[in-house]
Amino acid sequence: MTPLHDFSGYKPTWCPGCGNWGIGVAIKAALIASGLTPSSVFISFGIGCSGNMNDFINAYASHGLHGRALPVAIGFKLANHKMKTIVVAGDGDFYGEGGNHFLHACRGNHDITVFVHDNRVYGLTTGQSAPTAQKGYKSKSTPGGIIEISVDPLSLAITQGATFVSQAFAGDTPHLIDLMTKAISHKGLSLVNILQPCVTFNKINTYAYYLSRTYKLSSEYKSDDRQLALQKASEVNEERFPLGILYKQDKKSYHEQVQVLSSGTLLDSKSSIDYTELMSDFE
Amino acid sequence: MKHFLWKIGGEAGFGILTTGLVFSKIASRLGYYVFDFIQYPSLIRGGHNTYDVGFADKPVYSLKQDIDLLVCLNQETFTQHADRLSPDSLVLYDSSEFDCVGPYKKVSVPFKKILTDLKGQVVMKNTIALGATIALLGGDINILYDLLTSQFQKKGQNIVDFNKQFAQAGYDHIQSQYSAYIKNRLEKVDNQEGLVMSGNEVFSLGCVLADCKLYVAYPMTPSSSVLSVLADWQDKTGMLARHAEDEISVINTALGGSIAGVRSAVGTSGGGFALMVETVSFAGIAEIPLVIFLSQRPGPATGMPTWTEQGDLLFAVHAGHGEFPKIVLAPGDNDEMLDLTLAAFDLADIYQTPVIMLSDMLLSESHRSISKQKVQNLIKTHKVDRGKFVLEPDVVPYKRYKITDDGISPRLVPGAKEAYYQSNSYEHLEDGHTSEEAHVRINQIDKRARKMTAYLQKHFKGPIVLGDYKNADTVFITWGSTKGAVQEARKILDEDGIKTAQLHFTYLHPLDPQIITPFFKDKKRYIAVENNSRGQFEKLLSMELGIKIKEKILRYDGRPILAEDIINTLQKNNK
Repeated sequence: MTPLHDFSGYKPTWCPGCGNWGIGVAIKAALIASGLTPSSVFISFGIGCSGNMNDFINAYASHGLHGRALPVAIGFKLANHKMKTIVVAGDGDFYGEGGNHFLHACRGNHDITVFVHDNRVYGLTTGQSAPTAQKGYKSKSTPGGIIEISVDPLSLAITQGATFVSQAFAGDTPHLIDLMTKAISHKGLSLVNILQPCVTFNKINTYAYYLSRTYKLSSEYKSDDRQLALQKASEVNEERFPLGILYKQDKKSYHEQVQVLSSGTLLDSKSSIDYTELMSDFE
Repeated sequence: MKHFLWKIGGEAGFGILTTGLVFSKIASRLGYYVFDFIQYPSLIRGGHNTYDVGFADKPVYSLKQDIDLLVCLNQETFTQHADRLSPDSLVLYDSSEFDCVGPYKKVSVPFKKILTDLKGQVVMKNTIALGATIALLGGDINILYDLLTSQFQKKGQNIVDFNKQFAQAGYDHIQSQYSAYIKNRLEKVDNQEGLVMSGNEVFSLGCVLADCKLYVAYPMTPSSSVLSVLADWQDKTGMLARHAEDEISVINTALGGSIAGVRSAVGTSGGGFALMVETVSFAGIAEIPLVIFLSQRPGPATGMPTWTEQGDLLFAVHAGHGEFPKIVLAPGDNDEMLDLTLAAFDLADIYQTPVIMLSDMLLSESHRSISKQKVQNLIKTHKVDRGKFVLEPDVVPYKRYKITDDGISPRLVPGAKEAYYQSNSYEHLEDGHTSEEAHVRINQIDKRARKMTAYLQKHFKGPIVLGDYKNADTVFITWGSTKGAVQEARKILDEDGIKTAQLHFTYLHPLDPQIITPFFKDKKRYIAVENNSRGQFEKLLSMELGIKIKEKILRYDGRPILAEDIINTLQKNNK
């Protein structure tokens, strides 16, 4: 088994007490539990406090543009579907700037694991409200309180076709590691929405807030029941947060349905093309 | 033999575009060089479509103003294009539907009656017109039958036969009623075999030859057919063509593929490219190879989607925030499209940076002859150059952005054992980690800049010199699709004893002053010819190299520049 420190890059620059610390440790532990090494995984990072993890974790990675971690991961996976591909992004990045990519990646059920750091605020730009903020949340960009209702990411993921939809809390690392490991082993688009306090800019959604409003799904919960999953997901509107796998389904992932990938990866493929046939269209 | 122009027009949605291409292929199969041009509004039904096919036994460089044979499937075709007819022009129409008033060689074909008699659909007017055309031009009807067979054979022999009888009816009608008008303009000529390809199809073929494995696009006229061609070929080529949800996803997906180690490309027009621009800058700092096919159309914004313009040169050259290396290439015809597509993929890999291939509607959608022999030779001989792409780390810990003399660092395939690295859009250290240190920033900026110094030394190509530059009094400056119109105009001017030459640029950015400036030291009349309103390449030469070109011939009504435009403007300016 790969030792944890193999994955450890630079010392993180997150604020003391930030939920990212727990998430950072959990990701490394989940990668190890999944039998991965820094040379066998590709992580596409978004831009934000969570994306800054690019320097703190050793792996093949892209630290690209705000909102665009997902399409980079899709392209990587299409080129080399044998490599485990993970996206790490924040809620503003993933559900706001990159919202369109999120919807369409769910439809495609791309074999990518997504860890969203959901702290309901923009941390790196010092505290504007995020698309996950509760209606009425006052911030630098919404001093009168945000007018929009909160985005409901779990319902979106379920209705658009993601096949592993889950939620975790950054304050419960063992549970988070377990969920992340299951998400990594899932074939298809797996989402772990991680509720994460921002101790510097969000004075509402604190550790205490989540401790009193989160609960674990019982062992009897049936994760293949779509209607039940949607009910659970929409509890976000009542500020209740179920933790665990809300919805799971076995379906072919995108690359498994692409004819040209059936014989191997694009990276390994050697072309032998009948040009005479191609050119006959032009005669 | 003079350049002959056949033109067909009719209501949009009734097969004009297919028919035009069939005629181009007929001319090509008979040994002629072709250059066709499609005019269509941004509509699927209800507008007016036309298709010009120019052909000659010598290479055809440009479109032509004067129509030699006009096929009018509706009255609008006649009224809109009568000003391009002469008394020698043949006009083919159905006199039971409308009249064509004027001193032309009028040929009435009873489209309506033939359709009724043979129980055909309106779209089969086209087939009748093709049969009649072949008869009028003294061509071989069997070539049309072969093309109809390959078009319809999937639907069965009876459908093939059904369609053939319309061609036959048109052909017979001319033979029996208009034998006096029959010209021998489509006799077989002995030229090397040609392929009839649009610029987009040549680019697509180039992608396959260059071993591009991932093509990502969102449909946008006039680039869309690259996506449909490559998607259609997937099973034959092993390339993956993906239609993503938007252009931002398109370019990031392609970058993901490129990071993974496969050659990747995107295609779009100006509006889609505008959405991609932030990511072009990411490719620049993270040093990720990418080929961007940018087929221009008249903007701004939605502009005139189905028309032509060279309005995005300065946008392409300056696309992306921050300072980073980027290469811009622009083919002027099909041969250059093929050569530059192969070069673009190599340059992207060698310099690990984005390369933009500029096309436009005229180049992208017009079909032209390309030598089959040239294509076959390239298939046999082309070897891709992936530059410093490596499968194993040179040293561990591996440094993705290692400082080197030429600025190019070995690029390791992700997944290689004992190593890892990040492609970082933040400024970074040699090993890829983020850094905001002043000296790191300077070192990396300078490293990236050195790649373009190396490019200018090793790969940059100066203008292609056409004509006798030394003795020329007038020198035309062209880039992209205006090449052909100037070549055609120069043929006419040379006949009039005016000494001209042409400097045709294909490597547009960055520019090497040492190679280019000497061309502008002589006392000659320099004229920039561009399909835009401001003379963007003239501006680029001025901005980058301080070269001032006083005279410009510009066209910006969405139509291609013709040889006639150039000659007329020249004469006007002389007065």
